[in-house]
Amino acid sequence: MAENLLEVNNLKTYFFTRSGVVKAVDDVSFVMKPGETLGVVGESGCGKSVTALSVMRLVTTPPGKIVGGEIILSGENILEKSKDELTDIRGSKMSMIFQDPMSSLNPVFNVGFQIAETVKRHRKGISNDQAWKRAVEMLDLVRISDAKRRAKNFPHEFSGGMRQRVMIAIALACNPQLLIADEPTTALDVTIQAQVLELMNGLSKEFGTAVMLITHDLGVVAGTCKYVNVMYAGHIVESAPVKQIFESPAHPYTVGLLKSIPRMNESRGEKLTPISGQPPDLGKEIIGCPYAPRCPRVQARCREERPTLQSVGRGDQVAACFYPY
Amino acid sequence: MDTKDKNPELSSPGVMFPDTSITPLEVDELMRPANGVMTEISPAEPGVEPDIEKVGPRKKSPTPLQESLRRLRRDKRAMASVCVIGFFILLAIVGPFIYQHIGGTYQSPINGPIGPSVYHSPFHQELTNQDLSFSSMYWLGTDDLGRDLLARLMQGILISLTVALLVEIVDVGLGVLVGVLAGFYGGWIDQVLARVTDIIFAFPGLLFAIMLTGIFGTEADVVFSNVPLIGANGDARLILVSLALAITVWPLMARFVRGQTLQLKEQQFVEAARTSGSSNRKIILRHIIPNLFSIVIVASTLNISNTIIGEAGLSLLGLGVQTPGSSIGLMIAQGENNITGYPWEVLLPTIVLTIIVLSFSFLGDGLNDAFNPRSKD
Amino acid sequence: MVQFLIKRFIGLIFVVVGVTFITFILGYFAPGDPIRDLLGTHYNLQTYLALKHAYGLDLPWYTQYLNFLGNLFRFQFGYSFQYQNRPVASILAQGVPVSAELAFWALVIQVGVGVPIGILSALRANTWLDTANMGVMLVFYAMPVFVLAVFVQVFIVWIDQHTGASWPVSQWGNPWQYTPSDISFKLAPILVFAAGGAAFFARITRASMLDVLRQDYVRTARAKGLNERAVIYRHALRNGLIPLLTVVGLSLGTLVTGAFFIENVFNIPGIGYETIISIGNRDYPVIQATVVLLAVGVVIGNLLADIFYSLADPRIKIQ
Repeated sequence: MAENLLEVNNLKTYFFTRSGVVKAVDDVSFVMKPGETLGVVGESGCGKSVTALSVMRLVTTPPGKIVGGEIILSGENILEKSKDELTDIRGSKMSMIFQDPMSSLNPVFNVGFQIAETVKRHRKGISNDQAWKRAVEMLDLVRISDAKRRAKNFPHEFSGGMRQRVMIAIALACNPQLLIADEPTTALDVTIQAQVLELMNGLSKEFGTAVMLITHDLGVVAGTCKYVNVMYAGHIVESAPVKQIFESPAHPYTVGLLKSIPRMNESRGEKLTPISGQPPDLGKEIIGCPYAPRCPRVQARCREERPTLQSVGRGDQVAACFYPY
Repeated sequence: MDTKDKNPELSSPGVMFPDTSITPLEVDELMRPANGVMTEISPAEPGVEPDIEKVGPRKKSPTPLQESLRRLRRDKRAMASVCVIGFFILLAIVGPFIYQHIGGTYQSPINGPIGPSVYHSPFHQELTNQDLSFSSMYWLGTDDLGRDLLARLMQGILISLTVALLVEIVDVGLGVLVGVLAGFYGGWIDQVLARVTDIIFAFPGLLFAIMLTGIFGTEADVVFSNVPLIGANGDARLILVSLALAITVWPLMARFVRGQTLQLKEQQFVEAARTSGSSNRKIILRHIIPNLFSIVIVASTLNISNTIIGEAGLSLLGLGVQTPGSSIGLMIAQGENNITGYPWEVLLPTIVLTIIVLSFSFLGDGLNDAFNPRSKD
Repeated sequence: MVQFLIKRFIGLIFVVVGVTFITFILGYFAPGDPIRDLLGTHYNLQTYLALKHAYGLDLPWYTQYLNFLGNLFRFQFGYSFQYQNRPVASILAQGVPVSAELAFWALVIQVGVGVPIGILSALRANTWLDTANMGVMLVFYAMPVFVLAVFVQVFIVWIDQHTGASWPVSQWGNPWQYTPSDISFKLAPILVFAAGGAAFFARITRASMLDVLRQDYVRTARAKGLNERAVIYRHALRNGLIPLLTVVGLSLGTLVTGAFFIENVFNIPGIGYETIISIGNRDYPVIQATVVLLAVGVVIGNLLADIFYSLADPRIKIQ
């Protein structure tokens, strides 16, 4: 078995606000192998973005703080690195792209510069010309036509989908081992979404880059990921190979999610079944399973003890539930 | 490129630049995209932006106005400012009346026996009592013509507040009227407003007011001297000063209101109102103007600071209230003559002016924070 | 670019016409009869009419306006009413170098001190340094310039009285010369003048930088592994300083008004000082000339600021 590329053990990231402590990520553990694509799914506020930012150590401190756990990338603990060491790692060993391509690029520099900047930063001794060449190469790779000319254009001269491709170019320019994509297609049109996802998939396969794809959209996960982590209220509640998540979901939350999506083969006129209730307030102490208030299978034990990830008897699939499906 | 439209606050260096940009009630923030998983309006992602306020349908939720007032009450600086302003208003209106009944009869070598209603009047000159320091008779001393400084100060404060009030009435009235029409209907009204604004803006700062009062000042003294309450004792200029300052400020308010109207017009709730058949007038009255309320209040409070400074400045240059009248600016100018010998004569009005101006500024800032809460980065 | 310039130039013409017209009209309707005042006890109908004709005051108003405008473009501001043979231009010429020096140094300090303070505050946002900074800036910003001037004057007088120094509180010294004596005259007024503007720049810079530091592209820059210095000084600052260009243009206006007050409080013989004296003398040509000069100057200044802005920000399409 190949060694783990990324190991996250018992990660805890809390936010210390004026109205109390918000436990955005509360004891999260997972692994990623090299070249693997992991989907992280959940609704707004479940902690998926914060997990990603924690791995990159880009959490805004204050008010946020990683209070516990380990993040091990290729055998090195990220949480023990100094600021200088981190800047060496970011952009070269692991990269991140964000949700809104419109605002993620600096409006006053042309895109070629913004790509070349990363290259110059991480490849010592490379000349400006060589860096620029590499930038144009990357633009070509992400299928921006007329790359040589367009490298001199500014971000506002590109469409949303193209800007996201530029972001991908920046992220992959130094051939990182891990690419974290935080809701990369949420802000894009549906048709463009497919193009960008396909691009990411293709490039990741070509260069062997592992991808952590964060999204609230199960549909996005279906076509691209090998494994899926389902998060809720700062915890991972289910983790399984993608096929099993869709065909035999174990955690009641996952089941609820799947039920609430309209399917092509459902008969018209059938009502959508949303999940009743609301996600819990992460600023307050949660006793027992965080999903208990909304769970159709809830029992007394669920309100007293917090379930941890356990095997449900179907291969790699694990769920944090006492009474999984 | 019209940078003045992009950031209307920037157009007047006098208007305090708030630390955040002013935007109207953003109804959009209440709506979150329902992507199949969301069930109700839920609090914003706590991990990423912990201090977005929780807005949403709860039981017995207070109105935005009540929320804002509650925030305002918590702002200590703003509340202190309200108290200070209240004190000065009271002082200016009731003070003279009270003060002129305090004190015994004074044997003046020149004027014979006089009571407090005489020697505590802002106009009476007691030439044997020049440049006195604080005493039980003259609580804050006298100036170089033997006039009671406290009395003159109270009069000056009254004038500052009166001018500010007059100017703001015109500023808000005209500014909102023209601004809403220009923003809502566009067309020629908008064009005219733009041209007028450009020309008024072209006169830097108080230059226009200086010119107007400089040229027509003496005539105004004559023409307005018969206006009751205001005309006598060198105060006739108030009307001219108010007019001059009002002309200088209303285009800014109008532009500001226009900008906000434009933004509001594009909001979905206006479209909703329109599709449900409301007439233009109803839309303006019911939807646009109430949402302008908070922004106009903030802008006009901050503007009061500037108006008071403007009036004091004009008087300082000799263009405002004339002797024997009393204005804070005039007191400063007169005190300047005695700065080496009796510095409190100039310090007194200066300090009072500073306190009043700061109070209105703090209040305006507080109102801004109260009506437009943003995460305080 | 050319189209943009032409458009703005037309706007400029319009504004200049508006400003000059208003200034002219106010002068036209000005009360009193300056010719009569001039003649005083030597009044005599013939001389009166002759003088009136010489000053061009017997023409219909529109002709007078056109003359006024025409003369302006030739920098002929007419002749002072008060000092019969002195062209207004010469009266102003005395004041211009003084006012220009005052304004120049004030602007230099405003930007040179205000902007770095703002940047520092933004980088240390919400620490005691920031709160202290902004507290001080607030006071300087809210205080009217003449108030600060008075405080400083009182302070200087107090120092003079207690230490036997003779630090002056009025007059200017020699324009554009810097002997110790000159500096003693100029230091206080310039600093007082600059204080309010510096505070303004500090606040605006801080707000702008805070806004920029919050932006997604700053996060991207960090995610790329750029070190903090590059993130702040290359990515953030470049964006954060752009709005300042417009602000400089706008502050020209306050600079002008402020000059009036500083000059009057400190008895500095600049344009503002001369103008106030002229108002006292009902010397309208001087007032008109000053107002037009200053207004047009500020408008041109703003135009230049806008041009620089559009050059600095690639998002602005100059079409």
